[in-house]
Formats: sequence, structure tokens, C-alpha cells
Amino acid sequence: MASVISVSWPAPRGVGGAAVSLRKLEKRFAGRKVLRALSLEVARGLFVCIVGRSGCGKTTLLRIVAGLESLDDGEISVSSASGSSAGACDVRLMFQDARLLPWKSVADNVRLGMSKAALPAAIAALQAVGLEDRAADWPAALSGGQRQRVALARALVHRPQLLLLDEPLGALDALTRIEMHALLERLWLESGFTTLLVTHDVQEAVALADRIIVIDEGTIVFDEAVNLRRPRIRASREFAAVEQSVLREVLRTRAPL
Amino acid sequence: MDDGRAFARRLLPWMVPALILASWEYTARTGMLSTCVLPEPWAVVKAAWHLTQTGELWSNLGVSAGRAFAGLVVGGGLGLALGLFTGLSRRAEIALDTTVQMLRNIPPLALIPLVILWFGIDEGAKLFLVALGVFFPVYLNTFHGIRSVDRGLIEMARSYGLTRWGLYREVILPGAMPSILVGLRYAMGLMWVLLIVAETVSASSGIGYMTMNAREFLQTDVVLVGVLTYALLGKLADVAARKLERLCLRWHPSYQ
Repeated sequence: MASVISVSWPAPRGVGGAAVSLRKLEKRFAGRKVLRALSLEVARGLFVCIVGRSGCGKTTLLRIVAGLESLDDGEISVSSASGSSAGACDVRLMFQDARLLPWKSVADNVRLGMSKAALPAAIAALQAVGLEDRAADWPAALSGGQRQRVALARALVHRPQLLLLDEPLGALDALTRIEMHALLERLWLESGFTTLLVTHDVQEAVALADRIIVIDEGTIVFDEAVNLRRPRIRASREFAAVEQSVLREVLRTRAPL
Repeated sequence: MDDGRAFARRLLPWMVPALILASWEYTARTGMLSTCVLPEPWAVVKAAWHLTQTGELWSNLGVSAGRAFAGLVVGGGLGLALGLFTGLSRRAEIALDTTVQMLRNIPPLALIPLVILWFGIDEGAKLFLVALGVFFPVYLNTFHGIRSVDRGLIEMARSYGLTRWGLYREVILPGAMPSILVGLRYAMGLMWVLLIVAETVSASSGIGYMTMNAREFLQTDVVLVGVLTYALLGKLADVAARKLERLCLRWHPSYQ
């Protein structure tokens, strides 16, 4: 069977993305090792999906890159497009739940932490996710998918060079999820930021990723480029072949006790 | 026919009060009920009219309301400030919370003898009692509200660059607001109870004074006017608190 997975990485598209370099990351929670000497280099503008069973350490990895967890050992460097080390503003994390402030309007949620002058930028970001007409609504009036789109707008309004996505579509229904994939892909192609998406949905990873990484017990056990043309057609034979090979890898990993 | 049924349904809740009122009027008029025990409802209405005409009711009402709200502002303000302090700082909680929890279990009314010794029967005594009573519900709900703000929202706000002051103002305080308002509403109910007791113990003005004075002269109708005024004031305070909730929690799903 001809493998559609090649060993060479596809050429990075964007120049606005940050490069990520992780060296020998170690993390323990209450004596249990969550990350074991994990090293990873991500080129600028790449869309990388990190796949694994729940409890494999993939979310911890993302939270460490976002600066929400401390590191026991190892080194992280995120270098921005201009070559300098990226400030916190260049990295944005989208959570599994939207985490919108219920007491702020949609537009005010998007411009969180920014001045009033940022309102046009917030509206523009809402426009990018197709929710500009809901700008004045309360988050409680939105559906789950709409809330995640607002959260995405909130992350994008800062023009991040590295976007971290922690299973942001996990709680959405299948149809909404497919729409969100297309939206994410479009915004990523337009803006050229580097993306790390953590997911346990192999199909999602194959639909979006330039490169898929499988993590098991805190280390990388699989790391391959995906050379499928975009937009990817889920029904195609190539898509199914990639999905099958990644799924096999994930299923080989042991389920945590 | 549907209109008639709807009208009947609207009327139904008032049936029992109307029945009670009617039988009360009847028993009072026929002399089965002595006016020393309970005056007839019509007499109460007349007394209320008379008191408003002489201005006695309004001046006493003003004095009582002034005392109640002064106590609420002092006690509630202190409770809010201390609740914010212990809610935001672990060290302050460790240092102060045990003490507050101990003091909380003392009924404010148990302090009346001490209060009279300290403040005499002055305005200070009433203010102190009301302030002390409303302090605890406001304090407890503020503290609890701050501690129960969603950790995920705080983490999110931090990662979006909100610093201390911005974090308090945009995330922690609004997140604690529903709980703080519950405390305020509870405090407003308690405020009247404490004021009534304080005014009944000793006063030379206010609704409590008016009723106690009337008791001396066996004016049961005036006593009842006082009691009903308290009910009305309590209801007004509750409506005000609800309005405030509606205003501050417009974003909350239960107010949309």
C-alpha cells in the first residue's frame, strides 16, 4: 500500500507564525510523571495536531506551552516571526469550554484585556467568525458552537503568532464541529499563525493537520506529516488511509488505568 | 367563558384573606372580639388615616427608615469590605475568618443589655444593633461569592493578560455579585427585625415608639397600624432589592 504519509514536512505556509522548540520537558503531578523527556520542534506557520487518549499528557503539554503550568525540567522557546522571543501576547490559548465572561457582552468578551479603542478590532474578529450581528448579546444567549466561535475571535483579536487549542470542539455536535474545522482552516490559512491543536478525535486531526503527533504516557510515539491537499475530503480514499494509520497508532497505546 | 375562568383564577388567592377580614369585622362588630384584643379592621383604617393626617405616621416612618438604612449602609459596607478582604487574601482569611465565624453565632439581640450600657438608649444603640445584624449576612455572602468564582474564568483572564486590578474588577467582583446581592437581600429583611426590637426596647420616635406608646393607652388600632407599616416596609425593601438584582444581573440567564 502506497503511504500517503511522507517523512518530509510540508513547507510552512505563513511567515507570521512563531516557531516552537520544546526540549526534554519533564512534568510530575503528585509524583506521577505526566511528561517524560518530551522534545518537539514545530516550524513557523505549521498546523500540528497532538492526538492521544485522555490522560496521556497532551493537555498538560499545551498548558505548559501556554505558561499555565510550571515545568519540572526542560526548556521551552517560542520565537516570533521577527526572530525575537515571543511575548505572552503572541501566544493565545483556547480552552475546551468557551470560558466567556457571562456578565460581558459578546463584543466586550472579545476585547477582554484591551482598551475601549479595540472595539472595532473586536467587531472585525467577530466578523471573521461570522458572529458580528451578535456583538451586543449576552453569552448566555448563544449556542455552544457560537460560544466557541466567540472564544476563537477573542484569541484571534490579539493577532497571535501561536494559537493553542485544547480540544475546543470536543463538546460540540458533529455537524457544528465540521463547520468549525472549515472556519479554523480558513482563518489559519489567512493569518499564517502556528497552531497546536490537542484532540482525541483522529478524524479531526487528519482533516486539519500538516503534522500529526501521537502522545502516550508523556512521550511522542508517532510523528508524521500529512500531505493531503486542502480542503480535505473526508470521504476520499487517501483521507481514510491516513486516518486508519493514525488510529492504529492511537489504539496501540495503552489506556490509562 | 375563558375570560370568566381567568378572572376566577386571579381572584382565588384573595379569597382566604377576604374571608378572614370579613369574619374579623363581623366578630368585632358583634362584640365577640374585644377591642382590647383586636380592633375591627375599619378602626385600623381610620386610625391609619388619622395618623397620616396629623403627620405622626410620616415623621415616625421617616425616622425609622433613616435608622434602618443608616445601619444597613454602615453594617453592609463593613461586611462588604471585610468580605472582599478575606475573600481575596488567604492570609486575611486565616487571620480573621475564625473570629468572624465565632462572633457570627452570637445573636445580635443577646447584646441588648450591653448595647444599652454602652450607648444608653440613644440613636447609637439602634444603629449599632442594625449594623451588627446586617454585617454578617453581607460578609458571609461576599466571602463565599468571591471564593466560588469559576477558577476557569480566572485562569482564562490571567492568560489573556488581566492583571490584579483588572482581574478583580472584570472577573472576580462581577462573578461574586449574585452572591453579594443574596446577602444584601437577606440583610434587608433582618434590618427591619432588628430595628423593630431596638425601637421597642427604647425610643422616643419611630414606628416602634409609636406602637409601644399606643400600647400604654390601649390603642390597639394604632398598634396594628404600626405592625402593618412594618410589613409594608419589609415588602418595599424586598422589592428594592429585587430591582437592584435585576439591574446588576442583567446578564444572568434567569433575568433574560
